[in-house]
Amino acid sequence: MEALLAIVSGILFACSFYLMMRRNLLRFVIGLIILGNAANLLIFTMGRLTRDHPPVIPYGAELPIEPYANPLPQALILTAIVISFGLLVFALVLVFRNYLTTNTLDADTLDAAEPDEPLDVHTETRRLPA
Amino acid sequence: MLWAVLSIFVLAAVAPFIARVTKQATGWVLGLLPLAVFAYFAQQIGPVADGTPIRQVHAWVPSLDLTLSFYLDGLSLLFALLVTGIGTLIVVYAGGYMHGHDQYGRFFSQLLLFMGAMLGLVVADNIIAFFIFFELTSFASYLLIGFYHTDEDNRQAARKALVVTGGGGLALLAGLLLLQQVTGTMEFSEMLALGDTVRAHPYYTGIFVLVILGAFTKSAQFPFHFWLPAAMAGPTPVSAYLHSATMVKAGVFLLARLSPVLGGTDLWLYTLVSFGAFTMVLSAWLGLRYTDLKQILAYTTVMVLGLLTMLLGVGTSAAVKAAMVFILVHALYKGALFMMAGSVDHETGTRDVLELGGLRSEMPYTMAGGLLAALSMAGLPPLFGFIGKEVTYEAALGAGPIGIVVLVASVLANAALLAGALVVGIKPFFGGEGSFTRHPHEAPVSMWLGPGILATLGLAFGLVPSLVDQTILQAATGAVLQSPYEFYLALWHGINAPLIASLVTFAIGFALYVQWARVQPSGFMQALDGFFGRRPAAAFERGLFEMARLSQWTTRRVQDGTFRHYLLTVLSTFVVLVGSSLLLQTNIQWPTEVLGVRYYEAALAGIIVLAALVAVRTHERFIAILALSIGGYAIALLYLLFGAPDLAMTQFTIETLSIIILVIVLLNLPGISGQVSLASRVRDAVVATGVGAIITTIALTVLSTPLDRYVSDYLASRSYTEARGHNIVNVILVDFRALDTMGEIGVLAMAALGVYVLMRMMRQNRDTPEASIESDDKVLTEAEETA
Amino acid sequence: MDLLLILPLAIPLGTAVLTLLLRSVPGVQRLTSVLGAVALLGASGTLLWRVATDGIRAAQMGGWPAPFGITLVADPLSAGLLGMTAFVAVAVAVYALAGMDEARQRFGFHPLFHLLLMGVNGAFITGDMFNLYVWFEVLLIASFVLLVLGNERRQLDGAVKYVGINLVSSIIFLAAVGLLYGHTGTLNMADASGRIAELRGSGVEATLATLFIMAFGIKAALFPLFFWLPAAYHTPPAPVAAVFAGLLTKVGIYSLIRVFSLLFPDPTGYTRTVLLVIAAGTMVVGVMGAMVQRNVHRLLAFLVISAMGYILMGLGFFTTLGLVGAVFYILQDVPVKTTLFLIGGMMERDTGTARLGEMGGLYQYRPVLAAAFMVPAFSLAGFPPFPGFWGKLTLVQAGLEAEQFTIVAVALIVGLFTLLVVAQIWSRAFWRPATEDDVQASGSTSQRWALNGPIVALAVVLLAIGLYAQPLYGLAEQAAANLVDTQAYVDAVLGPSAGA
Repeated sequence: MEALLAIVSGILFACSFYLMMRRNLLRFVIGLIILGNAANLLIFTMGRLTRDHPPVIPYGAELPIEPYANPLPQALILTAIVISFGLLVFALVLVFRNYLTTNTLDADTLDAAEPDEPLDVHTETRRLPA
Repeated sequence: MLWAVLSIFVLAAVAPFIARVTKQATGWVLGLLPLAVFAYFAQQIGPVADGTPIRQVHAWVPSLDLTLSFYLDGLSLLFALLVTGIGTLIVVYAGGYMHGHDQYGRFFSQLLLFMGAMLGLVVADNIIAFFIFFELTSFASYLLIGFYHTDEDNRQAARKALVVTGGGGLALLAGLLLLQQVTGTMEFSEMLALGDTVRAHPYYTGIFVLVILGAFTKSAQFPFHFWLPAAMAGPTPVSAYLHSATMVKAGVFLLARLSPVLGGTDLWLYTLVSFGAFTMVLSAWLGLRYTDLKQILAYTTVMVLGLLTMLLGVGTSAAVKAAMVFILVHALYKGALFMMAGSVDHETGTRDVLELGGLRSEMPYTMAGGLLAALSMAGLPPLFGFIGKEVTYEAALGAGPIGIVVLVASVLANAALLAGALVVGIKPFFGGEGSFTRHPHEAPVSMWLGPGILATLGLAFGLVPSLVDQTILQAATGAVLQSPYEFYLALWHGINAPLIASLVTFAIGFALYVQWARVQPSGFMQALDGFFGRRPAAAFERGLFEMARLSQWTTRRVQDGTFRHYLLTVLSTFVVLVGSSLLLQTNIQWPTEVLGVRYYEAALAGIIVLAALVAVRTHERFIAILALSIGGYAIALLYLLFGAPDLAMTQFTIETLSIIILVIVLLNLPGISGQVSLASRVRDAVVATGVGAIITTIALTVLSTPLDRYVSDYLASRSYTEARGHNIVNVILVDFRALDTMGEIGVLAMAALGVYVLMRMMRQNRDTPEASIESDDKVLTEAEETA
Repeated sequence: MDLLLILPLAIPLGTAVLTLLLRSVPGVQRLTSVLGAVALLGASGTLLWRVATDGIRAAQMGGWPAPFGITLVADPLSAGLLGMTAFVAVAVAVYALAGMDEARQRFGFHPLFHLLLMGVNGAFITGDMFNLYVWFEVLLIASFVLLVLGNERRQLDGAVKYVGINLVSSIIFLAAVGLLYGHTGTLNMADASGRIAELRGSGVEATLATLFIMAFGIKAALFPLFFWLPAAYHTPPAPVAAVFAGLLTKVGIYSLIRVFSLLFPDPTGYTRTVLLVIAAGTMVVGVMGAMVQRNVHRLLAFLVISAMGYILMGLGFFTTLGLVGAVFYILQDVPVKTTLFLIGGMMERDTGTARLGEMGGLYQYRPVLAAAFMVPAFSLAGFPPFPGFWGKLTLVQAGLEAEQFTIVAVALIVGLFTLLVVAQIWSRAFWRPATEDDVQASGSTSQRWALNGPIVALAVVLLAIGLYAQPLYGLAEQAAANLVDTQAYVDAVLGPSAGA
């Protein structure tokens, strides 16, 4: 089962990266959502799997009953999910705000910060200005 | 010695403040310190000439084995005296010359910075300390060449000097560090005895080349000679001091210093002699092409540097003696002549020989000093320059098989030098009245005193060579040879071969001078200047230009402004870097399964994959979002199946929230027009698949060894007993790893703030609003124009 | 628990909360911000002093013994970086009093600035892999918001690229942490150090190392992963850009050094070659990019990249001397970059343009700024006696000792071109003449003090480091010794018995 999930996670990574490289920034955001899931699934698998037994200590006991699912990756994923969510929402609103400014969701039109400028030289004398 | 060096730096730091108080007397006041330092070093002549070098060590950066150690032998003492002695006169001179300039104070600051650095350079024993001073002289030289910074040509000249000497400095650094590795010491004084070790080491050639690059760039040897004539853009006191008397000799000093370590091989001999001789002859003749006093003097400086390099290359006792004599000879006459040229320029407004003339009555003191120095430069008896020339010829005659080359080259160069000297020394003062606008007066005493003293010394040492030969020059020669060497200098040695060579030199030289008016504009001289004078400089500037174009080309391709290309490059790098490591360094293994796969689990996995693929394929947003949510919920179910109910709940909630926000914010935005080509889609798909496959492969390999759950076991065992919580995951979040949770809350809070900023804050401009908008717009319009 | 290790996190957090609450009283808010930075300097300075004299300190969070809880560790490298961070934080906080417009302050510049510092400090001080991820995210989101603060079109544009690529880096990092956990079963770096040594055989650790190179390489703006940096660093106002340039890439390269020292201490020849190739590429592409930029801030951004190459080169040698050079270079590069970007801000302020080709007159009319510029600029070019020289010297020495002549040659040539670039700025913005009207001072006298004061202070300290490098160099030696022999670090975290 771990092997299956490792493969599923890999496929999710592939899908999300493909989506992120699209021109439409909306698809970039969709890719971002899948990306978080892919990473979480990977961590989950890395903790190895245990069916049906949540890491909970029954009332009256001091220790959980063996076998129980590995609690540590679960805690990590919980943290990671929330963090990814925060970043996702920010990215989403950023794309939106950028749309409001530029009126497009086209990733290829992002050139306000990096305009293509000619070289600043004295072309006739073929030398750098000093 | 520490205080001698440091005090000059301190004076440099406070010079602008002193200048504000002392006004036109600044030169006289500031000159007192170099004078005192000169006196200090003059006192050392006795002990050093007796053959005991002085060494002083002060801690600096012990971790680096870097000491501020000083080594005063004959060689460094000779240079230290030149640096401080001529330095004193230059400071006094500059007080008159620069008077009235609005950056008067800064000028002295930079000049004294140089003086301190140059003094440090010649007395430093530690190679790192030496290098630091070496670079500082380049730095000070840069500032001083560009002192008249309002003119672009001057800035360009400064840049040229900085890049050439700075580049050489970098080679030198590598060379010195290799030398340190080979010898195991950082002190010159200890290296001097280890010459045989170095010469036998496989690194010898490398060290030699690197050191030579440092020396040749600094001392303007062909093909790096072009920066020095350009450096005449600096104020004349700077040209006199840095670019003739002292700094440019730093390369020669380095060669002399290291000749016991690196010298004596064929490589050394042939490289130095060929480059030195070529530079010498070339620049001596190039000097005749120019009519600007400073340009003539600059080229003849390069000529002397070539001569010195050549003599050090020959390396015999006689040659080293000649080099030491010539260093002194040259410093005396060239310092004087530059100052003279500056005074003439100052009084008449021109430095062009063709426009000058007849100043002998208006500027008698300047003329006296200038003429005397020029005669020394010409190598005429009874001046010190004559002795310098004689010992050179003597060295050439004793140089063995290459002696004839050295001799012929020296005669050719000295003849041109003689002609140049007469042009500089005679033309401005004699003949008819020159064509200048100002009415010339004698320069103030501060400006004729310096050249006068130097020129007089040139006469005195010629008449009474015993003032210097038995003391400082002999000590310097002995230091370079690493064995005591006694000699006497004299004007008259009887009729011998050097004298005959001198006579030949006079004959050619006088003929050249007489014909100068015809030689100077001749086609031959033009061609020579075009090919060796202007072309290297132009090639250098062209090189910078092409370098910039190459950079532009590269940068445009790498940082092309397209977001998707950036991602593609990053992910491709992932595939190449991680993928190749996986293939080359890791035994890829299939995991040992802990659990089998049940059919509903497989179905769930299938749904997740399918949903993702649908999201990739579809261009319908609604379907994409539907697929997204189905996939997310399927993952939540999977968590639930494998004992992670908290995770399932959170995943469920977050997934729902994300989708809702996605729908609210983006669903109604218009799509974009235009598609990317199939080829690039395939390319992207290949890269993305590669990344996914690599991650899966690593995961499978990791899964092939069992996991030791010791950390989780510990947490589970303490979860109730110590932390009083039943739900272990929750206990981990709020107790064991509470710091993570704190960070997580911080992230959420800031994300919220970020959303608030993005949605509510008006578009801002910089606190200099007009600036940023203007430059923004300008950038955009320019970009559009080029597009 | 060692309070001193918590203060670098607690002080910025407290300051952030206070400045957020005080946002309706701007005067008090600004004062709090500066005081918070000063307090941080006090705490981090004390920590640095204690670590330098007494050795590595560790604190187990919540009292849970390592490797089960989260451990904070301050070794000389971490402590040195904390000290430098706090130092530039004070300078930037003061500069921001006048260099940051009202609206940006109202919309949360101060809390974000301090939370960013908390994230940076957390990354430097944590001994736990996943916790490192969390701090990365803290500083990342703080930088995201600071970057867009103002919503200029260029800012948003740059931010999309910055956010997009950095999120990829975060996910690669997260995946790498997951895989590392799956391999070793622990998140504590000192613990993992021992575990990974036992688990050799499959060779998977070499590949994990490349995953970390990817994740941290993006953060550290290494070749060819740096695109986000020149796309964004020139868009925010000077104080933000200055703190970014001084700190963010350093966190990436620091993490790379830390991870290699603890987890992959003797990499294969393949990994070393990869690191050196990346280092060479980073240096070259950085300086080439800088050569052609017309916007002074963007030019400086490319120089940030170039410097990262030098640091990585030191790591790539995997010798003690190489690490000394790398550590020294990082430590001095923090104030160097901050100073340069603050000066860049002043250059734009006073000349009214960010375009190098249109500036001028600064040497004549702003002699203090000109003198201050000299120090970090020529330091960057590796000119003595400025601090960058010592870093370059040590790195070259290390390279020659390791007989890596090619990369040494590349480093030296890149140094020459850096010199050219610096000279171009000097020549065109400072030396080139302008009329007095072109160079205009904006703001009141007290504002000018707030702007120039930090710049001069930074330059003076840098010059002092350059002239008397021994203290910082000694610290770098200590740090490198602890990176090469990690026993002291492991002992401090796990206790002496567990390490043996």
